[in-house]
Amino acid sequence: MHVCMAALALDVAALAKSVPGGRMLFSGLDLAVAAGEIVAIMGESGAGKSTLLNLVAGLDTADGGRVTVDGVALSGLDDDARTALRRDRIGFVFQAFHILPHLTLAQNIALPLVLGSDSADAIARAEAMLAAVGLAGRGADYPAQLSGGELQRIAIGRALVHRPALILADEPTGNLDAETAERILALLVEAVRSSGAGAVIVTHSDRAAAVADRVLVLGASGLGPR
Amino acid sequence: MIDTAARWMMLGEWRAHPARVAVAALAIAIGVALGLAVHIVNQSALGSFAKALASVNGAADLQVHSTSPTGFDEALYPRLARLPGVAAASPVVELVAGNNGTKLTLIGLDILRAVKVTPALVASAGIGSPIAGGQNPFATDALALSPAALADSGRKVGDHITVTAVGRSVDFTIASVLAGDNEAIAVADIAAVQWRLGQIGRLQRVDLKLAEDADAAAVGGAITAMLPADAQLVTPRSEANRTESLSRAYRVNLEMLAMMALLTGGFLVYSAQSLSVARRRPQFALLRVLGLKRGRLLRQMVLEGGIVGIIGAVMGLAMGIGLASLAVDRLGGDLGGGYFRGSHPELMLSPGAALVFMGLGIAVAMGGSLMPALEAARAQPAVALKTMGDSSDPTHHPLAWPGLALLGLGAIAALAPPVLELPLFGYAAMALMLAGGVLAMPWLARTLLAPLQSVAAGPALGLALKRLWGAPGQAAVALCGIVASTSLMVAMAVMVTSFRGSVDDWLVQILPSDLYLHIEGAEAGGLDTNMQARLAATPGVSSIRFVRSLPLRLSPERPPIALTAQPLDRRNPDSHLPLLRPSLAAPPGEIPVWVSEPMVWLYGKHAGERMTLPLGDRARPVFIAGVWRDYARQFGAITMASADFTALTGDATRSEAAIDVVPGTPLPALTSALRQRLPAGIARQAQFAEPRQMRVMALALFDRSFAVTYALEAIAIGIGLAGVAATFSAQTLARRREFGMLRHIGVSRRQVTAMLAAEGALLGAIGGIAGIALGVVMSQVLIHVVNPQSFHWTMDTRLPWALFAALLAALVVAAAGTAVLAGRRALSADAVRAVREDW
Amino acid sequence: MRWLLVVLALLLGAAGPVLPDYAVVKPGAVLRFPADHGAHPEFRTEWWYVTGWLRTADGKDLGFQFTVFRTRPPVDQANPSRFAAKQVIFAHAALSDPSIGHLLHDQRIARAGFGLADAAIGNARLVIDDWQLLRAADGRFHAAVASRAKGSAFALDLTLTPGQAELLQGDAGYSRKGPSAREASHYYSVPHLRVTGSVVRGGVRQAVTGTAWLDREWSSTLLNPAAVGWDWTGLNLDDGSALTLFRVRDAKGAALWAGGSLRRGDGSRLTFAPGDVRFASARQWRSPRTGALYPVAPVVGARIDGRWHEWPVTPLFDDQELDSRRGGGPVYWEGAVRVPGGRGYLELTGYQSALKM
Repeated sequence: MHVCMAALALDVAALAKSVPGGRMLFSGLDLAVAAGEIVAIMGESGAGKSTLLNLVAGLDTADGGRVTVDGVALSGLDDDARTALRRDRIGFVFQAFHILPHLTLAQNIALPLVLGSDSADAIARAEAMLAAVGLAGRGADYPAQLSGGELQRIAIGRALVHRPALILADEPTGNLDAETAERILALLVEAVRSSGAGAVIVTHSDRAAAVADRVLVLGASGLGPR
Repeated sequence: MIDTAARWMMLGEWRAHPARVAVAALAIAIGVALGLAVHIVNQSALGSFAKALASVNGAADLQVHSTSPTGFDEALYPRLARLPGVAAASPVVELVAGNNGTKLTLIGLDILRAVKVTPALVASAGIGSPIAGGQNPFATDALALSPAALADSGRKVGDHITVTAVGRSVDFTIASVLAGDNEAIAVADIAAVQWRLGQIGRLQRVDLKLAEDADAAAVGGAITAMLPADAQLVTPRSEANRTESLSRAYRVNLEMLAMMALLTGGFLVYSAQSLSVARRRPQFALLRVLGLKRGRLLRQMVLEGGIVGIIGAVMGLAMGIGLASLAVDRLGGDLGGGYFRGSHPELMLSPGAALVFMGLGIAVAMGGSLMPALEAARAQPAVALKTMGDSSDPTHHPLAWPGLALLGLGAIAALAPPVLELPLFGYAAMALMLAGGVLAMPWLARTLLAPLQSVAAGPALGLALKRLWGAPGQAAVALCGIVASTSLMVAMAVMVTSFRGSVDDWLVQILPSDLYLHIEGAEAGGLDTNMQARLAATPGVSSIRFVRSLPLRLSPERPPIALTAQPLDRRNPDSHLPLLRPSLAAPPGEIPVWVSEPMVWLYGKHAGERMTLPLGDRARPVFIAGVWRDYARQFGAITMASADFTALTGDATRSEAAIDVVPGTPLPALTSALRQRLPAGIARQAQFAEPRQMRVMALALFDRSFAVTYALEAIAIGIGLAGVAATFSAQTLARRREFGMLRHIGVSRRQVTAMLAAEGALLGAIGGIAGIALGVVMSQVLIHVVNPQSFHWTMDTRLPWALFAALLAALVVAAAGTAVLAGRRALSADAVRAVREDW
Repeated sequence: MRWLLVVLALLLGAAGPVLPDYAVVKPGAVLRFPADHGAHPEFRTEWWYVTGWLRTADGKDLGFQFTVFRTRPPVDQANPSRFAAKQVIFAHAALSDPSIGHLLHDQRIARAGFGLADAAIGNARLVIDDWQLLRAADGRFHAAVASRAKGSAFALDLTLTPGQAELLQGDAGYSRKGPSAREASHYYSVPHLRVTGSVVRGGVRQAVTGTAWLDREWSSTLLNPAAVGWDWTGLNLDDGSALTLFRVRDAKGAALWAGGSLRRGDGSRLTFAPGDVRFASARQWRSPRTGALYPVAPVVGARIDGRWHEWPVTPLFDDQELDSRRGGGPVYWEGAVRVPGGRGYLELTGYQSALKM
């Protein structure tokens, strides 16, 4: 039961998706993530974890069901509106970091702030976020000078800089060594908690799952507890 | 305007790859520069030519001009002078004359009349005032020379000078110098010129000044109604049209070639942007995921192209002006085309034209970005984010029909008639075919490579084939530059080769005799019958055919045609005329003439029809018995039998002769014997030539007039090759991870290099073959549409196989070489580590 | 005595191959009319010079002059071209209107031929383009001039009716012009011509009446080389007399030669020797355009029967200077003048600069 819609960062109901061949990935999938809640999703390769994230982000269209992000239903929105929704209310962290090599660290973090209407204090907010992820004062550096862990710190900064309602993280520690992964996870959890956003972390890693409030497993019958 | 995100992305990209941006901007710059330079030079040449004409004409309100250099009856002058609305009339004798082999315009002027009608001409004449001047303005032996004529003659004021015209040599005293003018002009009293140069009773011009309240159109109508057949009304506008039409086709062709260079530059921008998009696809995907709207992504990409275009256009503007001044300096106003004799024009810069060419450059650059931008915006961000830079789906089959449809449209456009006497649809056909050919490249590449898939090959070649076959879109990006520039060059080369070959054949055909004589400045009359008899009786001459050649104005809007009279067998003229089809027999009592090919195009005159010639004071009806091929006179030529010409005009003088020699007679001795039999003045105007020399001269002239064409082509090819190089190196660098992976799984560095060489060679070969094939098709448009419609002549296709082979080899080597060079750079970097790299 | 002599001197300077054989002015030649009203093409130069006063219907005075010159340049007489400049016709016309304050003037020049410009033999029939001076069988002259010159458009359409016989100047029409006997011309005048017709100014046609004077001269010989200019006046006196006075000046302003005549209404005639003619300057006017200083109001005198008679001359208005330098001519003053009991024209040349010969 969804008593208070406004309190939910993400509300997914009866979601169904099949792959182009016709095989059903999942159907009747429900998921509710409250503000400030961290949900980890695990599952076999090919179970549709990334597809679920794409559906939630409005990057892919479902065969059926409903996705509501921060109170806004995705169905009925055109591509531009979904894009605006992503920009304003969702933050992303990827396995492969996806930091633009030609932009400075501050510019990379500030991207969500400047993609929509220009924000005068974008760089200042990015610098503040850099400090928050432990890279204070390096705003003018380029990504080539950073290690994998540092790149993911930038990615976390970028995911949070525009104060989204929902953070989507796809294997955020997949490309990192164990020690670094530990620190990045801690940073991610701390950042998400302090921002009050809801978060969905798709991961294979038990350690990563361990930091979540709830851990769900994606199977053919939908999401279920571990 | 440019928002922050777009600015960051653009500046970041350009900071990372400045060379690519520079090459793309340079390509646009070269295109804009060429277009603007050709345009400036053309305008400058036209301006200076019009100025030269105005200086001879003296800028009268209206002019009555004779249709041929033999003039009209002077009785017309008082009738014109008395016409209501005519404020003043100035009679003029105008002759093409020579002085020691240099050409000048001899003008006989009634200064007392000219001062009212063409004050500029008289002011410049210096002997203008009969009242205050120090000399007798009516002296029979006084001549005023323009500075150019004075310089040509090497004399000074007070010296004697011999002027030869109409077969006479006359001594004058240089009395004064005309005001500054580039044209070689000599002015004398009209009565003196009429008397001493055999023009008694004849005028070539009457210049008219209209009353201030006169209705120019009404007066013009009244004049036209009273003119005899051998005079026509020339208005400033018809004069401008005539001037303009003189070299119009040539100028338009050059501008079109310059446009082609600009278009090739556009392809370079396209390929640069395509690669940039391919490389940055994940970046764009990320931006889309992070919240960049589709429309803004598209806008940003086109904007990037536009900024490259602006940079290129500004550079092109400066380069174009520099290039134009260099070209005018070195080649003269007609860029070697031979239309404007010895003119040294001032540069005429028009801000309007500059803006148009800059605008075109920017538009081409933005257009080149549009396709890749659309592709980038259409991509699914989630998919694009996951894949590597080089995304392609081997199962995707490229379509053949869009390219083939454009080719078909091009073929249809080629059938359209000329617009404003310009082959605009012909050019459109070529552009459509070019676009169609480029569009069909992915399909063609795959089709050509398909049979090779089953061929057993080494790992390197195998990998190369697989990649080219599987990613035809990528290959096409590299190919389009090659195909565009190769096909343009091949089209031009085939046309020029065909043209040159046809001209060469034609020269052999029209120059069957052993020796030719041409009298300079004999437009109004040359060798009289006495001189003809003396020449014919020269020992060593086995037979001699005298030819009369004179310009004839059929329309005030067009340059004069050439009328030639030569001894012809009226029933069988084929032996002396390169007829396209056998001659028709003229109906009894009618005079047969044979018209050149351009006459058919320009005046719509066909064999079997009748036309009138403005010879004497009446329009003479003649029967068109046939059409002959003529490459010498673009504005038309008519030939008739000598006897008919003399009967019609009473003019028995001749200006040229074709001489057959008794075998064994040494030509130099005969030439000097012939020269000695001519009066001294005419001997100085006489030019003897052997057919061999004439052919060499004609072909040298031909090559000179095409020199700029060759240069423009070479530049287009250069831009195309630069595009290929840029494309290959970019594509290769983008595949570093692929190479790293190959190295990981045990492919040797040498094998990777071999693979790249094979890829390059294959691409070069495919592009070359496709380009040559497309070029040959386009050359047929040039040969059968553009040339007949703009220059009014046809030619037989000849294919320069050696050039094709050399071109193909050059393309294969250049493409393979570039690929290997770029590959070495990609491999020398820590390619292995690149596997882990993001992008 | 006319300034065009100078012009002709320039024209005649050069030598050609078959030069015209000019007729010589000889004393004793008998003038016959109307034949001598026509051209004498065998002489180098000749003119028909009409000057006079006009009065409009509303009582306004105007002056006018209309002159046709014929000259025979030294061109090769063997040239069969119809354009050969064997005769050149030059015409000049000016209108003096006090309300305008300066001259309106225009000119035509053309070589004779094609019916466009001609000076006929046998009677006065002068045509140059749209300008004409024709003498009809009844003896009346008709003068037609139209100028479309910018800013000074005007037209004259006048009939001149002789009231007196031709006045033969000098010795029965043989008129000396200098110390040498060669310096002479055939010269007769027709004074007291009654004028009717119309004048167009500013596009408005007005009927006029008035009195005019015709001077006719032809000659082949030149002025004295020392001459720099001359003064001439022809006056129709109210009593029917006609007074002609001229002098040729040297560089010092002294008279190289002078002459003239007085014919009374009864037909009796006096011819003045050089010592019988005086031009005394009374008031001068300086041209603001050229800076030339003209004695525009001289006192002219003649010794008649041993006694000096004087006529103080008053111009219709001062600025009747004509600057024809743009057309290649000289700068001179020629204007309508009055004297007590008479009216006529005064010509003053060589004041802006010495006329070079």
